[in-house]
Amino acid sequence: MSRVEAARAARHSVLVTPLDHVCLSRVHGDDARRALGHLTATTLRARDGQVQHVLMLRDDATVLADAFVLCDDESFELLLEGLTAAEFIAHASAHLPAGLDVRFEDRSPTHAVVGIDGPFAWELTSRVVGVEAVGLPYLTFFHSAVGCCYRAGKTGEYGYGLIVPRAEATALEARLFDVGADLDVVRGDVEVLDDAALENFFFCIRREGAAALSPLELQLQWRVRAQGDEVGSAALRARRAAGIAARVTTLVSEGEVRVGDTVRGDGQVLGRLLAVVHSASRGEWVALALLDVAYAVPGLSGLRVGDDARRVDARTVAPPVLNNQSMFVSAQMHSYATRREITLPPLARP
Amino acid sequence: MNTSVTDYTTRRTAVLDRVRAVIIGHLNVDRPADELDPDTALFGSGLGLDSIDAVELVVALDAHFGIYLGDDVFGRAEMRTINGLVDLVMAAEGNRGARVTG
Repeated sequence: MSRVEAARAARHSVLVTPLDHVCLSRVHGDDARRALGHLTATTLRARDGQVQHVLMLRDDATVLADAFVLCDDESFELLLEGLTAAEFIAHASAHLPAGLDVRFEDRSPTHAVVGIDGPFAWELTSRVVGVEAVGLPYLTFFHSAVGCCYRAGKTGEYGYGLIVPRAEATALEARLFDVGADLDVVRGDVEVLDDAALENFFFCIRREGAAALSPLELQLQWRVRAQGDEVGSAALRARRAAGIAARVTTLVSEGEVRVGDTVRGDGQVLGRLLAVVHSASRGEWVALALLDVAYAVPGLSGLRVGDDARRVDARTVAPPVLNNQSMFVSAQMHSYATRREITLPPLARP
Repeated sequence: MNTSVTDYTTRRTAVLDRVRAVIIGHLNVDRPADELDPDTALFGSGLGLDSIDAVELVVALDAHFGIYLGDDVFGRAEMRTINGLVDLVMAAEGNRGARVTG
């Protein structure tokens, strides 16, 4: 299956993806919540059955890892991107205050995660884990006979993850394709998911996350509090007080653009591209640019993007760049079989 | 920066400040304005607003900006981020984008 077909499935039907880039760590102990708050520079508010989307910062406030925290009874499950579980445990050991009652378990050797994304992801998920998936609110989870089912996608469409014993993951994938034969299910990979994330301004630790930026430039302040002595908090407060010089902004272009391209305008260099996708849904290029903060606003046209040999026009826009179909698909009213009865706007936003 | 871009970004920043003030004042968002990044999602992740907040937001947009969105608002992409709301207000007030020079 091609990348274009997989991208189409993410926007129109169902994409099933082995989330091999996600590492699992279980955090136990009476001080587990406090320890995770310290490592994520935030107040961990999730209650039992809830998921919180967090960041881990380095001491200099640049982003180290992206994670979902599942609050599960007396312990926490971390779904980590950007760090292996072993690296996370080493980071935690180096940064936590002494004396905390907290223990870390690397669950990646024994467990795997399978992602199910798309406007009809709920239909496939419910066939495997039960009807409870249909009414599952965003950022919550439950335990099924198959495994832990959480709802927390990064594509702008319905998104679920199933945490299962690693030995059962291949059989689960086969079952998903079997029971979803009438849903036009397509197998995805991390690149397809990252492309979809870019179209919807979901942070990607592998792309813009590799640029050693802080939540200020990345527009991720909602994920951190940084009010105390948590890891990276002092540096973040200092950066905030100093002000930022650049901020990530979404660009679209009919011409080809590439990661690293320079953005020019008004006779000067205004920034560079950190992430790029050719959006099959829009039929043009979508990019994330780190722009001079004075120009980091939607609504600017005439930007010139490229290198010494190639320049194309681009303009800034407010994300998301798509009208996600999931906003118009109701798990209570619709089904993939009757999808043509759903009134949908054009997929591409102006 | 050319004059049209300066004018546009100045107007846009003023609208952003007003939208942030409405979000903080009407939706009980416990954050200083400068921590509300422009592309932050309003619902689900991001600020974590819910369907009741959405109704409050529709009412506030009407009261503060004279923008009436009608009944079919929840699928609108402009309702999903702070910058989307700013786009709505900018358009309602007749502000168009600006073009940088080469």
